[in-house]
Amino acid sequence: MANGTTSKTQTERLQLLRVLGPAHIWALGVGIVLVGEYMGWNFSVGKGGMIAGLIACWVAGLLYTCVAMIDSEVTSTVAAAGGQYAQAKHIVGPLMAFNVGLFLVMAYTMLEAANAITVGFLLDTVAGIQGHSGLDQHPFIVLSIMFLAWLNYRGVLATLTFNLVITAIAFLAIIVLFLSVQFGASSVPLDFSAITNDPLPYGWVGIVASLHFGLWYYLGIEGTCQAAEEVRSPARSLPYGTMAGIMTLLIAATMTWYVCSGLIPWEYLGQAGTPLFDAARVTGNSWLMVLLFVGTMFATLASANGCINDASRAWFSMGRDRYLPSWFGAVHPVYRTPYRAIVFLVPIALIFALGAPLDQVVTFSILSGLLGYTFMTFNMIMFRNKWPLDTIKRGYVHPFHPLPTIVLLTLCSTAYFAVFLGYGTQLIAMLCFYIIASLWFHFRRYQFVRRGDQFTMPWPKPRGY
Amino acid sequence: MAYKPPKQGLFGQVFDVLTLLVLTVGALYIPLYMGLAGAAKVPNPVANPTWQSLGQNAAEQQQWAALGITDPAAANNIITARFDYSFSWVALVVMAVLVVGYFVLVVRLSDREYREVIEERFGEKR
Amino acid sequence: MDVWSKLEYVAWGLSLMFGALMIIDLIRTDSTYDNDLLTSSREGEIEATAERHII
Repeated sequence: MANGTTSKTQTERLQLLRVLGPAHIWALGVGIVLVGEYMGWNFSVGKGGMIAGLIACWVAGLLYTCVAMIDSEVTSTVAAAGGQYAQAKHIVGPLMAFNVGLFLVMAYTMLEAANAITVGFLLDTVAGIQGHSGLDQHPFIVLSIMFLAWLNYRGVLATLTFNLVITAIAFLAIIVLFLSVQFGASSVPLDFSAITNDPLPYGWVGIVASLHFGLWYYLGIEGTCQAAEEVRSPARSLPYGTMAGIMTLLIAATMTWYVCSGLIPWEYLGQAGTPLFDAARVTGNSWLMVLLFVGTMFATLASANGCINDASRAWFSMGRDRYLPSWFGAVHPVYRTPYRAIVFLVPIALIFALGAPLDQVVTFSILSGLLGYTFMTFNMIMFRNKWPLDTIKRGYVHPFHPLPTIVLLTLCSTAYFAVFLGYGTQLIAMLCFYIIASLWFHFRRYQFVRRGDQFTMPWPKPRGY
Repeated sequence: MAYKPPKQGLFGQVFDVLTLLVLTVGALYIPLYMGLAGAAKVPNPVANPTWQSLGQNAAEQQQWAALGITDPAAANNIITARFDYSFSWVALVVMAVLVVGYFVLVVRLSDREYREVIEERFGEKR
Repeated sequence: MDVWSKLEYVAWGLSLMFGALMIIDLIRTDSTYDNDLLTSSREGEIEATAERHII
């Protein structure tokens, strides 16, 4: 069973297929996130001005570097589909795991819906430029979700190889745009005068507020560990792919900020639907416009694709442990994918993509992500306390131990405040949802769960129990 | 003695999924229907806008033109729109209590369940 | 009827096709294989044989 495919002697067991390498992990992580550079991050400029947008970009980058470090350590040790869900189950306990599983499914399904909405919006913009007004966006929204779900259904290797190609193209598009603008391909000059004239239109509170959408630059990088059960060597590939991913994103985010802030007046940028595509429009170069259209399209598809992959893994793992009906814990006998979870999540994504406004969906996704990062802080502390470094072998040990955790917790609190400025109602609605769901799990659903079977890692007994 | 969970029938499984579904959709749509969702920017348009009075320099005017907006009046609302960041401390405290309370609740209940898991897994000698 | 209006219909058609492909395969798989086999995957099984967390 070392290579993960079911051998002759164990034909009665179906497992997910172990076929992925570090490049696929990079593609999964960056693929989900890169769309944030093509849409959404710029609302942080709207919430605080240009400088605030850049600070938010770097502060959020710091937050996610902590996330990536913590995640790499835990997940290179707890290598199971469901990622943080399986971590929570082994380290904090079943109810926390159920909540984390829900965070993951919500964050990714909402992000998937947001991506599909963007595909529709972008096609509408292009149709408008070509003189066709009033395009019906619904068929395109439905098609992108259906196609990607089908791709995921048919097998993980093809899905993530597809993701690798389109993510690489979308990333190159940002670099090409940056270089061409730098070498004078733009007919309109770069202009950063707003930085000196109107540095902080909202004052310091604007910087905090902009952190809300600053998260959008990187949201979803932690999804890499969902693939743990499908990677050939998780202890090596997961930290490697995740860290390479966060570096890629830091570079892309900074270049994106530079080009967009230089080419687009910040008041417009703060409310634009597709900022990088708009920046290409401003350059007046039709090649760049085509390139950035393709980039935006690919980035959204890559992201939705990765989201389907991750959300279905989390849903599948919860079904497998009977946190959800065990019907969902099924693996397809031929394609080796969690096919029932994939199919079930399609209509859910459609409900949100067709029925809710974009900023609402995005906020729901960000909030679920944020709750997940908060969980990571005490998860990390408990992990090191229950199993100190010398008790189990870790694939990767992150340096400066309590420091990343403390930084992450501080930044999470700030981000809660940022969301509270303007979206407090959603925050409260979401928390009520999770509290009710938790009580439901604890008092009703948990009776169907086998107690001892939940702990699957070959570890010694945790300290203090 | 290991805990033996009851077997759940098809009806029970469907019912549980529906419960979760209703909760999820409710959390998203209830704030929406109650009209509580989202922070709106409020435009404060200036009278008789010119690019100068809107604070746009020559380069920025070129950029607006490239975006398809040549008339300052059309950009008036976009440029002057601002968020309102005033908030009530009471609401902030309510939110903080809710967030912290939520995590405390979850971690405490989890721990109770976790002890059971560990006991069953490591209880008897393997 | 320009190209965009046609694309709308194409998109509806393709969505239906992908949806149908998944549903048909799901029904066929579920009726061909035993449910106990389909849900036989266990977390950490590979873990136990392939990687030892022991120093």
